[in-house]
Formats: sequence, structure tokens, C-alpha cells
Amino acid sequence: MLELTEITKSFRTGPAETVVLRDLSLRLEAGELCSIMGGSGSGKSTLMNIIGLLDRPSSGSYRIAGEDVLAAPPDKQSALRNRLIGFVFQSFFLLPRLNAWRNAALPLMYRGTPEAEARRRACAMLERVGLADRMEHMPAQLSGGQKQRVAIARALVGQPKVLLADEPTGALDPKVAQEIMDLFLEVNREFGVLALIITHDPDIAAQCPRQLRLGGGRIAEDIRRA
Amino acid sequence: MIKQALLEAIGNLLAARQRSALALIGIMVGAGAVIAMLTVGAIAREQTARQFRAMGTDILLLRADSDTGLGQLPLAETEALVGQVPGLASIAPFMLSGGPVSAEGQARSTTFLAATETLAAVARVRVAEGRFLSRHDRFEPFAVIGPQLAENLSTPYSRIRTGSSIRVGRYVFTVIGVLEPSLPSPMMPADLNDVLIVSIPNGRRIMSQASLAWAVARSTPEADPEAVGRAVAASLQPLMREQRLSVQSARALLAGLASQMRLFTLLLGAVGAIALVLGGVGVMNIMLVSVQERRREIGVRLAIGATRWNIQSLFLTEAAVLSFIGGAFGILLGVAGAWGFAQFSGWPFVLSMSAIPLGAGVSIATGLFFGFYPAVIASRLDPIVALRTE
Repeated sequence: MLELTEITKSFRTGPAETVVLRDLSLRLEAGELCSIMGGSGSGKSTLMNIIGLLDRPSSGSYRIAGEDVLAAPPDKQSALRNRLIGFVFQSFFLLPRLNAWRNAALPLMYRGTPEAEARRRACAMLERVGLADRMEHMPAQLSGGQKQRVAIARALVGQPKVLLADEPTGALDPKVAQEIMDLFLEVNREFGVLALIITHDPDIAAQCPRQLRLGGGRIAEDIRRA
Repeated sequence: MIKQALLEAIGNLLAARQRSALALIGIMVGAGAVIAMLTVGAIAREQTARQFRAMGTDILLLRADSDTGLGQLPLAETEALVGQVPGLASIAPFMLSGGPVSAEGQARSTTFLAATETLAAVARVRVAEGRFLSRHDRFEPFAVIGPQLAENLSTPYSRIRTGSSIRVGRYVFTVIGVLEPSLPSPMMPADLNDVLIVSIPNGRRIMSQASLAWAVARSTPEADPEAVGRAVAASLQPLMREQRLSVQSARALLAGLASQMRLFTLLLGAVGAIALVLGGVGVMNIMLVSVQERRREIGVRLAIGATRWNIQSLFLTEAAVLSFIGGAFGILLGVAGAWGFAQFSGWPFVLSMSAIPLGAGVSIATGLFFGFYPAVIASRLDPIVALRTE
């Protein structure tokens, strides 16, 4: 489903060249729930940016559902992101001046979905993540856990192939973090979406059926729970 | 999408109220200046047009010059031109000078104008009280005065009116008429509001340099005033030897004034445009700050699928809303400013119909033009960098 082959990413800083990812290959199947761990500087963020189509590798190939996503010119990348990827961030990144349903509906609006339809689907998704009574609330009126639920609704509303979460529980207290993790487990099962969770928290990582650890610019560990 | 874009733009502008207000004021003053300047130009144009309407465009002004100063028109021959020159309806030669006059101990300096009775008809002089000079009283000590002079010489105890006496040097004149107030005419070398009009023989007595150098004439309605002017000059020139005769026609003056007015309006428009550009720079400044502050938001939007164009239009919409509202207030400000100018100058207020759409259009265009650069900056942000912004 998601296929990274011999991905290399290097940055040129002055005369020195820093290689962040070195011939990294990775295959993930639809419906998998997979955690990615790794110390700082291990290339986690770079890998996430490449998977999220925010950055391009120096070399290698990348396919989602058989589609060569690197072949698209840069100005088509946003349309690919919109269609294929749903992002969840550590600090939620809701737009402060839009209410919950407008935040959740944003990917559909950028897709040109008519407002009534976008609203219907956003509200349905907010209901699914447990915010049926918070549709019209502004982000400032929501708790951290509720904000992350809105962010998850926003990530899923466009029915992406990949749900990409960067430290989604990092800003939450443990109890709420577990609720959010439970929600990831649920939506992964229910929507069959491939979910990738980048985390520092071993407890969160341990709940994922597949656990990756990055090191030295490659996949250092790939554990599948039976 | 358009509704959402507008709602978001207004929401964002309201969230940064103080900044938006500053940008709004910039655009408002700019648009106001453009509209006020164009309207003031229109008011000045209308005022000139009114002067010419009062005077008529068939009027001609003749002036004789010799090498030593003013020249001398032959009185009888000049008057005889009516009937000889086709298209010449009437002509009134006159002398012009100035000096002190006094009445009841009040002394003033004024313009002396010595003319025949035909002046009243040719120059469209209207008498408010009494009568104008007639050809029967050429040698009588009679004078007709302008309303301003009458007022200047009046005291709270004695008003100058028909029958009053006015002293000029050794001579005493009896006022037989006071003129109606009139707009100063660009075709008359004297202001008929502040003037002492006497007959030509009397003029020769009171003027130190009595030159019959001037004449006003009118052409018939169907004649071309400039051709009549040339014919008059051609008929008189042989009688005047060394002297030069210049003829000015209202129509030529009007054409000259019209091009001057265009320049004037352009100039005023340029002043307004500078103000508008300053307002536009204000918008750009504020939009740039806004882009800087909202980098993370831009990153999020890019990540969830906004195109570069979506981001650009987000900021352009804000600039458009700002300049639209600023332009609307600017129209009010500009019209009010021009109205104030009309009140101050005493000229009638006219609203130039082109000024409002022009001013509004130009202000919106300026807002969009200056909003474009920040919008492009926003749309070129790297989403990775933008998302990392704290």
C-alpha cells in the first residue's frame, strides 16, 4: 500500500553534507497501525515529512496504493496531500478563528466540496470521535483532548489512505493520552486506514501491532506483535 | 467557498482590530484624497463655466498697445464698425485707470472705467438701482458705481446710493446708478463690483493717462467670434499706424482654460494618488506582519491540502475587504472634504459623478496591488518551516 524504496535524504549545510536517511526501504499495508520511535536526530521528522508529501527525498521512490507520488509536480503535491494524507499534530494546530465543524471540514473545502455537504460530513465525523455536542464550539472553548479529537476528525474527513500522527499524545496528560490512543485504535479498525504514529512514549508505541525504530538513517528495528 | 473566504477574512481582520483599523485609515485617507481632489477640480471647472455662461462665449476683448504703453482706439471709427464688419453685433470702447475716490470723509482706491452707454449691453452690466449712463448726459458729472465700492464708501450713518456725491480729485460726481453684484469676468480687465464708471469726456478729466485702449465687442449668434475678431482687427489696423491691436475671444480663452483645468485636475489627482499609495504601503505593511504571525496557520492549511493559490486568495481577500471598506469610508470623507472646500471658497458644490466610482475603484485596485506581494510571500512559505514556527 505504502511503499518507500531506497529513500535517501541529505541536506547540504555549508561545505558539509548531512545524510539524514540512507537507503531506507519500508512497506506498510492498508489497515496497519504502526508506531515509529527514534531518538532526536534519527530522521523521524524527515521521514514523516517525506511520507506526508511535505518534503521530497534526494533519491528513491515512493508509492501510495501503487501511485508514484513523487512523479507529481510540486504544485500538484497539495492535491495529493489533500486526497491521500491526514495529518494529526502534537499541538493540534486547529485554526483558532474557525469553529469545530469548520475546522473539521477544511480539507473538504479545499477539495471544492459544497459547503452543505462538507458540513454534513464534518459533523458526522465529529460525532464519530465523540464531539456530537461541540460542533459550534471554537477551539479556545475546547479541552486539549477535545481539540485533538477535532484534529483527528479533520484528518479523517477526507477519507485518506494514510493517517499520519506526529506525537499526537505528547501534549496531553496520560489519561487523556490513552483516550486518544484508544480512538486511534478504533478508527484504524473501523476505517481500515493505515495509521502511522510517531511517538516518544513507549506505552503508546507498545499498543501498536507494528513498531518501528529509526536509527542511523534506516529502520533499525521492525517488530510485529503476533 | 467564497462565503467562507469572506467570513474568514473578516474574522481575521477583526481579530487584529487595531492593525486593521490602521490599514483602513490609510486606505480611507487615500481614497478620500483622490475623491476630494477630483471633486474640487470639478467644482473649480464648474465655477469657471459659470463665469463664462454669465458672460457668454460670443464676447471679444480688444486692446491697443503702442511702443510707449497703451494705445489709442479711434472712437468714432470703432463705433462705426457695427454694420461694416459682418457678424459684429455691438462694440464698446473704454478707458481704464484707477485712483482714489472719497465720499463723506471715506476714502478708497478704485478702478475708473470711462465708457459709452453701449458698455451696459455689450458687457451685460445690470443696474441694481438707478440707471446706467446715457448718451444725453455725456458731459454731466454722473457716475455709476459697483456694489462693492458703494459698500466700501458707506458708513453706518450714510449709505452711498443713487443721488450720493463722490469726489474724484477736483471733480464731484453724482451717483446715478449702482450695479448688481456680478461674478468677476475673465474677459473684463476690471472687476465690475469695485468700479467707478463715467462717460468718456469725464474720463479724460479724471484719468492721468487717458487712453481709449480697450473695447469689448459681441459677435452675432451665428458668427464665429474669432473670425469676427480678426475682421475687426483688420479694419482698425490701417487707422492705427504704429500700434498693435490684440483681440482675445472668450472661446479661445475657454479652450486655454479647459486645458489648464485638465492639468489642474491631473495635478490634484496626483496628490490624491500619492496619498493612496501611502495607504497602500500601509496595507502591505500590515499584511506582511499578518503573514509573519500566521505562518503556522499557513503551514497547517498547506498540509491539509490548500494550494498556493488558496493561500494567496486568503490574504488577497483580506486586502480586498480592507480596501473595500476603506474605500467606502473614503468616499464619505472625500465628498465631505470637497463640500467643506466649496463652503470655504463660496463656490457652488457639484458632485463629480466620475469621482466616486473612480476613487472607489482605484482604492480597491491599490489594496489588491499592495496586498499581492504579502499574499505571494505567504503562498511561497515552505510548509515544513511554517509548521515548525512557534
